[in-house]
Parts: sequence; C-alpha cells; structure tokens
Amino acid sequence: MLPRKTALAIATFTLIALLAPNIPGKEHLPGITPRNVAAAFTLRMPWPVPALPPAPPAPSVPVANAPKIVAAAPQPNLSVPPGSLDHFFDALARPGATVRILHYGDSPTTADSITADVRRLLQRRFGDAGHGFLLIAKPWAWYGHNGIELNASGWKIEPASQDRAADHFHGLGGVSFRGESGAYSRVTLPDDKHTDAVVYYLAQLDGGSFTVSAGDTVITSVNTAAEEKKPGFAEFALPEGTKEVELRVTSGRVRLFGYRFDKDTPGVQYSSLGVNGAQVQMLVRYFEVGQWTAALRHENPDLVVVNYGTNESIFPEYIDGEYPDELRKVIARIRAALPGASVLIMSPMDRGVMEGGAIVTAPALEKLIDVQKRIAAETGCAFFNTFQAMGGAGTMGRWYAEQPRLVSADFTHPLPQGAARVGALFEQALVSAYESARR
Amino acid sequence: MLPTTSEYYCLLVVVFFAFWLLRGSGRASVGLVLLVNLFFYARWGWSYLALVPAAATVDFFLARAIAGTGRKPIQRLPISISIAMNLGLIVFCRYAPATGLFLPLTLSFYAFQALTYTLDIYRGDARPVGYLTYLTSVTFFPTVAAGPITRVAALAPQWNWKGKTLTSEEGGRALFLIGLGLAKKFLIADYLGNNLVNRVFDLPTLYSGGDVLLGVYAYAFQLYYDFSGYSDIAIGSALLLGIRLPANFNAPYRATNLADFWRRWHITFSNWLRDYLYFSLPGKRTKWMPYLGLVITMVAGGVWHGANGTFAIWGLLHGVGLALFRFWQAARRGAKASESRGIKIGAGLLTFHFVLLAWIFFRAASVATALQILSQIGSLHWNVVNATPQFVLVLAIAAACHFVPKDWYDLSLLNFNRTPAVLQAAAMTLLLLAIRTVSSTGAAPFIYSKF
Repeated sequence: MLPRKTALAIATFTLIALLAPNIPGKEHLPGITPRNVAAAFTLRMPWPVPALPPAPPAPSVPVANAPKIVAAAPQPNLSVPPGSLDHFFDALARPGATVRILHYGDSPTTADSITADVRRLLQRRFGDAGHGFLLIAKPWAWYGHNGIELNASGWKIEPASQDRAADHFHGLGGVSFRGESGAYSRVTLPDDKHTDAVVYYLAQLDGGSFTVSAGDTVITSVNTAAEEKKPGFAEFALPEGTKEVELRVTSGRVRLFGYRFDKDTPGVQYSSLGVNGAQVQMLVRYFEVGQWTAALRHENPDLVVVNYGTNESIFPEYIDGEYPDELRKVIARIRAALPGASVLIMSPMDRGVMEGGAIVTAPALEKLIDVQKRIAAETGCAFFNTFQAMGGAGTMGRWYAEQPRLVSADFTHPLPQGAARVGALFEQALVSAYESARR
Repeated sequence: MLPTTSEYYCLLVVVFFAFWLLRGSGRASVGLVLLVNLFFYARWGWSYLALVPAAATVDFFLARAIAGTGRKPIQRLPISISIAMNLGLIVFCRYAPATGLFLPLTLSFYAFQALTYTLDIYRGDARPVGYLTYLTSVTFFPTVAAGPITRVAALAPQWNWKGKTLTSEEGGRALFLIGLGLAKKFLIADYLGNNLVNRVFDLPTLYSGGDVLLGVYAYAFQLYYDFSGYSDIAIGSALLLGIRLPANFNAPYRATNLADFWRRWHITFSNWLRDYLYFSLPGKRTKWMPYLGLVITMVAGGVWHGANGTFAIWGLLHGVGLALFRFWQAARRGAKASESRGIKIGAGLLTFHFVLLAWIFFRAASVATALQILSQIGSLHWNVVNATPQFVLVLAIAAACHFVPKDWYDLSLLNFNRTPAVLQAAAMTLLLLAIRTVSSTGAAPFIYSKF
C-alpha cells in the first residue's frame, strides 16, 4: 500500500525538481535533469565500451622521480631568448665547476617547497656542490630547508616583507638578524660532506663578535666591528666530517644575514631564498641596493631565478600600474650586480579562488603572467611559465580534486606532492633546454 | 553512489514507489531491495558483486553450521572462519590499492554488520534467518558507505512485517531526517571544511595560533555534522521503506565525561566495539584487565580508521582517558554524583576539550602535523586573520544547534509532520535552493565513507 502523504510530498518535490531547470531563463536552478536520471541507473561496464573520439592531449605532468630525460624535447613553457641562459649552460658544461643558482621566491619557497625538489633533481644529474644559502633562524614557524635542522634563539628578526630593518639592509636572503651576547644558531646539515661555509654579516662601527663551532672546536671567531657599515663575509673551512655547526654571539651586538654551506665536489648549489609575503616591490623598495649588490657579487651565481607573482596576483590595479616598472628595476639591479649571470623569470603557480561553485584561476593572474613574459622578452631573460606547465587555468581546482591532493585548501600553496610536480616540471624544462643547447 | 548526489535521490524515489507498490506481494519487495543493494555495490565497482554475495553466502552457511550444533568446541571453527574472513575483507579492501587494485569502498561497515549475525548466533543471542532476508539485511544500501552499523538480528525481522505500511508520521520523519542530513552536510560541515579547517590542517604552520585553534574547534563540528548528517540521511532513506535503523549520534559534545561521550558519538560503532570486542577480551574479573581492555579496544577502534600513528594515538588517548575515568569512578564508588550545574558545565568543557585534543590526531595527516598544530596553538599568537565573519557565524550556528534542547527538535519534526504534503515538498525545494546557494565546490565525500 502506497503511503499517500509521503508519496504525494515526494512526487510533488520530484515534479518541481524536474521542471525547475527546464523553465526558460532558469536553467541555473538546481533540479533533476534527464542526464541525472540516466546517470542514476547507469552502470559502468566492466568490459570495453565503444571508444569515443580521442580527447585532446592533456598536458603531461611528470612526477618527481620521473626517469631522466634522454633526448631534449621542445619546452613550450620555457622561453629562452638567444644568449639568455648561455652563462648558466656553460657553467653546467664546464668540468669540475660549481654552478650556483639563486632562487628568489615567496611563501612556498620559505619552506624550501619546490626548490628542494629542483635542488635534488639537478644535484642528482650534475652533482652536489653543497646546500647553499640558509637563514640564521626561522623568521616564520614553517621556515625550513630540506634535510636541515635549524635551532636558534635570541635573535631580533626583521624580514624585508614585514618588520623590515629601518636601513633596508636585508642581506642576500631578505632577512636581517640582530643578536646580542648569548644569541645562538645551530645548524644540523643533511650529511657530513660539507667542507666550507660562509657567514653573511654586517660590519659596523659598534659591531660585536661571534664564533662558529663544530662540536667543541671553535672554527672561527669573527669581530664585526669596522670603520664603515658594509656587508661582511666570513669564509672558513669546516673540519672534516662536520655535521653540526653552532654560531654564538660572544660579545656586543651583531647583525647577520645568513649562511652558505659548500662542498668541494663539483655540481649544483641551489639556494632557496624565500621570503613570506614577498613581492617584486620588496626587492625594489626594501633591499638597499649597495648591500644587495655586494651580497650578489660575493655569491656570484650563474643563474638567478626571480619567482614572484602569487602575492601580486590579487592586486589588478598594481599589475596595471607600477608592477611592470618594478619588475624591470629588479632585473636591472641584478644585471648591474651580475653582468654575466643568467636571469630567469619564473611565473607563479596557478592560484585558485572560489567562483560560482568552482575553483577558478584568480582573475588577474594570467594578466600578471603576460606582463612577466613580456618583460622577460624585453630584458633578455629566460621565462618559465609555471602556470601553463602545470596545466593552465583551473589547475588548482584539478590538483585540489586529485587523490592524494596536490595543493592546500587555500588553493595557493602546494602540498609536498604538488611541489614535487612543479619542481620536476621546472627541472625538466631547464635540462631539456640545456641538452638542446649542447647539441 | 553517495547520498550527496542527485543520482542517489533519483534512485531512492524510484525504489520508494516500487517498494510500496510491491509491498502487497510480500517477498517481491524484499527482492527488489536486494537488487537495489547489489546495484549499489556494482556502482562502486563490479568486483564487489563477486566479493559481497560470496562472503555473505559463506557467512550464511557458517551461521547455519553454528546454529546446527549446541557444542561450543564445534562452533569455534565456523565462527573463527567468519571472523577471519570478515576482518580479512576489511584488510583486503583497505590495502588492495597497494597491489594496484582500486576498491573505492572499504566494506568495513558491511563486515561489521555481517559479524553481528554470526557472533550473535554463536552467543545464542539470535536465530538464523532465511537467505533472502539475510542477504537483503546485511547488504542494505543506506548503510553501505558508513553505517549506521545495524545488527542483522534487528534488521531481518523488519522485512517480514505483514500488512505494514508507512504512517504519515514515519514518512514525514524520514523526509525531515533526509533534509536535516543534507543541511548538516552542505550548509555546515562542508562550509567549515572548505573555509578554514582543511587549510589549517594542510599547512598549520602558515596560520596563527588563533586561526589554528578556531580551525580545530571547527573541525570538531565539521566531523559531527558530516557524519551525523550522513547517518540522518541513511536513517531517513531506510525509514522511507519502513525500516528503522538505530540512532548513531546523540548530541555528543554535551557529554559530561568520556564514557558519556562514547554513549553519544558513533553509537553503533562504540556499541559494536563494546559488545563484540571489549566483552570478548579475557580477564573481566581481574583487577587491571578491564582497564587494559578499554585501552586495547579503543586502540583497535583507532587503528580500524587507518594503519597510521595518528589513529593509534587517537585511540590510545580515548582508551587511556576511558580507563582513567573508570578507575576514578571505581575509587569513588558510593559517592554521590554532583548535581551542581557549574560542575557539570566544567566537566562538559573538560570532556569536550579532551575530545578536541584527540581530534587533532584523528584529522592530521601525520603525527608531525598534529604536533605542529599543537605547537601553533601553544605559540599563544591569538590573532585570527583567516576566519571571515561568515565563517564565525556558521561555526556559532553549528555550536548553538548542537546545544538546542531536544524539545525544539521534536517540535520542528512535529510541525513538519503536520504540514501538508505540498508544503513539505516546498520546504525541501527551499532547502535545495539554499544548498545550491551556499555550497561552493559541490559535496566533499563523507568523511566516514573512506573508513
């Protein structure tokens, strides 16, 4: 016996749901469509069904441990104006060379996300010349470099993007650390093969002293007092087998900017220089030019990667206004400091926002990437279109839907699996272009 | 096919009308439900059509063998086979992806239900039923994905009610529960998940202590509204066919102690653990074994959610918490429980925050992430910058609705039942429009459907 009232309620509701999407002009209303009804009673057959016309090929997304590229493939996402990467490629090809790469980036880079994967892949291919740059302490709780433990205490930390130093001296990595007697920084390296290190500091009138030790052995003692304020670089050899290094302020006040760890083996050194909330304008407005130039020259990299845009992408007026000129200024300052080095602009990843029930690409992102591409061509820089390499518009939605997920629920930051994909895409593009150039 | 899809409701409408039209012809209506059950499994994957009926048939005959002899030593072999087979089924489905075989449904809830049949017969608490009735009960489609875990002994007799029809009160209650479940899922659980919880648990170190703490509170309510929403829909769907499933939740965050919490949270699962695992453990009359039994039971319950340290810690926290509470109760036996409202509120807050602590491990992807979350909260940076006013409003509504008196719920149900059928349909339409307006990315899968 059909329960009358319930049956009537269900029938009425079903009728409304069937009719609603079919009212002219009301197609957006929720309801039941013939497609829903068909889908409800459809079973996917376990045997092959007649093939549909082939879909257009999806962009291939390699995984982190993809096999080595044996033949150079065209890299539509990497634009290499003539000569733009020659210096970098020559360095890679030079036997016994240490190839230094600086990667300036924003929040993902602060956790060595993406850069750790590129470092690992390039070092696997070309050799490991050491970890490279590292900040003195954690300016953000999530700051960290792959394989490295960093413990520090007693520092006043001034990132260029936030509580910036009044004199805009932020060193190579964009963060200034002020410490007095007792402040320390302890670094545990991923292995015991590092042979040399550098501490970036500020020489200044009333500068104090610090020591660097390995175990009970003081490796070096540095007095930062000087007649004029200028960047200082304390270079020293590490005792064989050093895995842990401790820096300690022994007297007065010191100001530091970071470490660099080298190995005496040839290969690639990939320095991750992430600053949370960073934008191109940070380099222009809050990196004092003289001290940044000195730091860049001391580092003497073969390739500088400028990887900003995520934070700018939500300010369309800025992109239309000051952004192009500020990006040009950054390139000009790097070129002035490092006339021979290769420079590559790396676009941001896709950034998702909610719209109409779907995760779509942030409206101004593609415009920003167009600007980056145009300025790269104009200034003779290489350009890697991360956004397109990932899959273009809507990638965040697709990567968010993948299992396991590749990106965070903020539709901005990659999870480790997503970072590995992006890192592999970038590394493969570089290597492919290198192999093409070597032919 | 999850009950968040329009396909589920298309099928449910057809099944509803067909079931009641066939009801007069007795077994045909039961056969129809069995076909629908098998269709549901086939929708999840054709391999289930081989696995589930085969396992169910083996259990059916094992149960017959158990019932056929009154001698415990002889009964032990078939019951052991049944336990091994059903636990093996859970393990196989859970870890099949590692072998390249993709099984989207873990069959946990099927296996738990199947075990209630053989174990109840082994213990003499139930009698064997006919094959059609058994198969229909143990595979009943509303319970496929995430319960409520229903004893076959409680479900089977309901198929045989002669002359049974659906009263307008039962029908109204069924529609009300389905609507309530959808609202819980789409308007609260998914909103909280999409707008802060998932972000905070993905990358906790990107958020301030205040954001993370708010995200953890929100997760407690997201999980409750998600799972109880599913349970409401399942209970409502079954009730449309005149089948009563057991309640799965009873305002769990109003619990004033941990034992009370487990009488209110995922009730059918905690009952299952108690009846079939805890009571089966030896040493009930020893001094310490009952306490250890609680820990073992809860750790086993935790590990069932996944072979991951986070779930083991979650189970361990609850096990130790329950054991300590039991010990405390035993130590003050005879003392009169305090009737003070203040003490009750304090006990409720303490219980809620203990549960909250355990949820951090339950939800975090790894123990390291859980510790990061605790570390962020411990940083005492209380600025909240990632929670919008709308988010805080939805969280406040979620909390408030959890604490509304049961009378209000009963009154709402009564009013819905008194409403004419056409207006009931209009209310459901309005709910559909609200869901369409509020829900942003479509439904996330029910959290418990992956277990």
